[in-house]
Amino acid sequence: MDALDPLILARIQFAANISFHILFPTITIALGWALLGFKLAYNRTRDAAWMDAYRLWVKIFALSFAMGVVSGITMSFQFGTNWPGYMEKVGNVAGPLLAYEVLTAFFLEAVFLGIMLFGFSRVPNWVHTMATLLVAGGTTLSAFWIIALNSWMQTPAGYEIRGGVVHATDWWAIIFNPSMPYRLTHMLIASALTVSFLIAGLSAWRWLRDGGGEGVRRTLKAAVYAAALLIPVQIFVGDQHGLNTLEHQPQKIAAMEANWETQPHAPLILFAIPDGKARTNHMEIAIPSGASLILTHHAAGVVPGLNDYIGNHPPVGPLFWGFRVMVGIGVLMLLISWLAAWHIARRGVDALPRWLARLLALMTFAGWGATLAGWYVTEIGRQPWLVTGVLKTADAVGPVGSTMVASSLTLYLAVYAVLLTAYVAVLYRLARLGKAAPDSKPMFPLPGVGAEVPGAPAAPLEVKP
Amino acid sequence: MTPFFDPWWLPVIFAGLMGLSILLYVILDGYDLGVGMLTRLEKDEERDLMVASIGPFWDANETWLVLGIGLLLVAFPVAHGLILTQLYLPVVLMLVALILRGVSFEFRAKAPPEHKHRWDHAFFAGSLLTALCQGYMLGAYVLGFDQSFAAVLFCLLAALGLVAGYLFVGACWLIYKVEGDLQQRAVRWAEVTLWLTALAMAIISIATPLLSTRIFTRWFRLPEIIALLPIPIASATLFVGLAIFLRRPLRPKDELSWVPLATAGILFALGFVGIAYSFYPYLIADRLDIWQAAASPESLSIILIGALFVLPVILGYSILSHWIFRGKATHLSYE
Ligand code: HDD
Ligand code: HEM
Ligand code: HEM
Repeated sequence: MDALDPLILARIQFAANISFHILFPTITIALGWALLGFKLAYNRTRDAAWMDAYRLWVKIFALSFAMGVVSGITMSFQFGTNWPGYMEKVGNVAGPLLAYEVLTAFFLEAVFLGIMLFGFSRVPNWVHTMATLLVAGGTTLSAFWIIALNSWMQTPAGYEIRGGVVHATDWWAIIFNPSMPYRLTHMLIASALTVSFLIAGLSAWRWLRDGGGEGVRRTLKAAVYAAALLIPVQIFVGDQHGLNTLEHQPQKIAAMEANWETQPHAPLILFAIPDGKARTNHMEIAIPSGASLILTHHAAGVVPGLNDYIGNHPPVGPLFWGFRVMVGIGVLMLLISWLAAWHIARRGVDALPRWLARLLALMTFAGWGATLAGWYVTEIGRQPWLVTGVLKTADAVGPVGSTMVASSLTLYLAVYAVLLTAYVAVLYRLARLGKAAPDSKPMFPLPGVGAEVPGAPAAPLEVKP
Repeated sequence: MTPFFDPWWLPVIFAGLMGLSILLYVILDGYDLGVGMLTRLEKDEERDLMVASIGPFWDANETWLVLGIGLLLVAFPVAHGLILTQLYLPVVLMLVALILRGVSFEFRAKAPPEHKHRWDHAFFAGSLLTALCQGYMLGAYVLGFDQSFAAVLFCLLAALGLVAGYLFVGACWLIYKVEGDLQQRAVRWAEVTLWLTALAMAIISIATPLLSTRIFTRWFRLPEIIALLPIPIASATLFVGLAIFLRRPLRPKDELSWVPLATAGILFALGFVGIAYSFYPYLIADRLDIWQAAASPESLSIILIGALFVLPVILGYSILSHWIFRGKATHLSYE
């Protein structure tokens, strides 16, 4: 075990934990709003199908939320256990941002979640709707703070270094640092797309099995439309994000494009095996001037190359491939959602070709794939820096020995593997039970609520004050 | 930027806020964890009822831990790194245990019925392991991370002590939240764990000054010893008073069923004040005081402004939530 250096292990551990964590926020951030949408649609139309949808997805929300909370707590300890140097150096900036996240977002979510999940028949309908709104707002707010911090680590601003420690000079500049608006927008849409494909996928799966009832058709249609609307926006935002990165972290773009020499007419590489040792690409297939066109909007535009940053740029392979996985999934999402939307708009949900529904079902977790790939590009692309130009990753690592880190990493991975399997299995189980499930037992026995839990299919639809 | 508050006071205020959130965490999540451990003693419907009694609260309760550790992280970054690297192993185990505890809540109700008992086991084990780890860390922290054999024994004792304490608040919570036979049994659990907790507190209070000369001089010195005396006296009185209270039959209409819970809260607070007194002004025994460990006054001011506005709001809606879910966890209708 000791052969592996603690730095590498600490990085793998952090990456494993945050990768597990982000799966669930990606769902809860947008699903909260989707639930609010279902609830409002029900309030307006009093149509039972919306309430069926709400009842199913609120359970999935509760489960995802619990997974997000427990893995998030792990995250907040990791800064201390694995990266003590981080807080010592940039604590004056990172601290307040993290503190505001806890103060403004976490408590809001956690307290109103109780009311949202279990208060259904304890509070008037409008209070319940309000609680749903506050939970959705809370998750989004927490994304705001943490993305502000992460973006500051990518493109720091508004600080000065005194006595070797970072001090804040301008909080506005820190929060709205150059990459923050792009990253936040891109991430929020990523979450919305992940949820759209999750809902569409599970609904399509249920629809393929047995039709699934009106609620399933409703959500399938709503999710496909949402995806079809959002994906072009995401592609546009992604492009703008890339231009912003080109301005502030050119070496990251060079690695994403596997472009070694600074050159005009830089080709857009579709396939290649980048070779970091020989500093070249093997088996390259490329569109001439493509990268220049995309990144500078001129065929003759100059694209920065890695050889200008020797010793100070991220590894090429992961960035090159990570980026292609994300964009590839994005393109697939575009094709599939538009095709499905077109079919549904023309002849309704039940006219959806079965092969297309199967494709949708296959794409259920596609959002996770793209989101993780995107984050890997972003985070590995920052290396060797932890905070660009301020703190190297290697200087932040703690004194904990490799054996210790390796064993805790193994423990985490084992637990995560079990939980992820259970999570996915339960998602399919809930989707299968869906509306009109034979079990009329409330999912959760509740104080003074009995069967009128959102989880209880037998509950009367009228929401009692 | 100039700080908005006096730089001498800022670290003191933050140490206070941090202490407050840790105390609230220990009491609030303490009853969750205690109930979690007590579920082992019941089956099926009673167990569901016990879990239901904490369902709407546990998440918000756990958030006090995030705030406490967050304040340590942001207000005292150096201490945060030192403490957490020292406690690496128990922290990791606690995190895994908290993960198990938190997700079992959901899975036990949503997984296929034939798997439910597995998640029940995970729920129990997670609660128990969390309590053990937290007690162990408390012990290690009090002794300044001493690694000697006696110190490790002390930590193990603290681990068991905290388990007893959590079982005790958990039982008190149930007295308040359930009725009928289950409530009667909760009274008995509370009676037993009350004495275990008192015993643990006594042993720890005796062992601490023996193991740490610093704490010894802190405690047994005039005039401090006189100022300190009220703490053990009040604790002893409360323990005995509560024991008598629990002996007597429960009041009709469940009057005063909140008394044990409130008493338990006060007892925890007293223990906490004792520990805090032994430490102040150090964050890490004899090595780092709160001014040496503090982040810059500018950053602390920024957080404090927010905290002053937000903390009352958080308290407000936490109370709102307890009010909405007031009353007994009963009237379950299983059709
Ligand atoms: C873009 C979104 C996002 C990202 C990048 C992160 N988180 Fe997160 N986190 C959330 C979005 C979120 C959320 C949506 O707000 C969660 C998920 C479920 C929940 O309860 O809140 C959450 C929960 C959550 C919790 C539990 C909160 C509670 O008790 O309610 C903690 C302590 C953290 N996170 C900490 C972190 C840290 C230290 C991160 C980075 C290193 C991090 N999160 C990345
Ligand atoms: C949410 C999605 C995120 C994912 C999937 C992710 C992924 C990763 C990965 C893969 C690494 C390892 C990179 C390497 O060492 O080569 C890493 C490192 C790191 N990230 Fe993130 N990250 C995410 C968000 C964040 C956020 C929001 C923060 C902080 C505010 C953050 C802070 C860090 C830190 C401190 C490290 C460790 C040092 C390092 O290796 O650079 N990450 N992350
Ligand atoms: C198809 C066109 C897309 C383009 C051109 C694009 C562009 C980019 C770029 C350039 C980055 C890295 C920015 C940086 O690190 O500085 C990025 C990151 C990211 N992408 Fe995409 N993206 C696309 C599609 C998607 C899709 C479909 C998703 C998810 C559903 C997604 C999710 C993410 C996430 C989560 C990150 C990391 C966070 C961030 O930096 O915003 N992207 N994207």
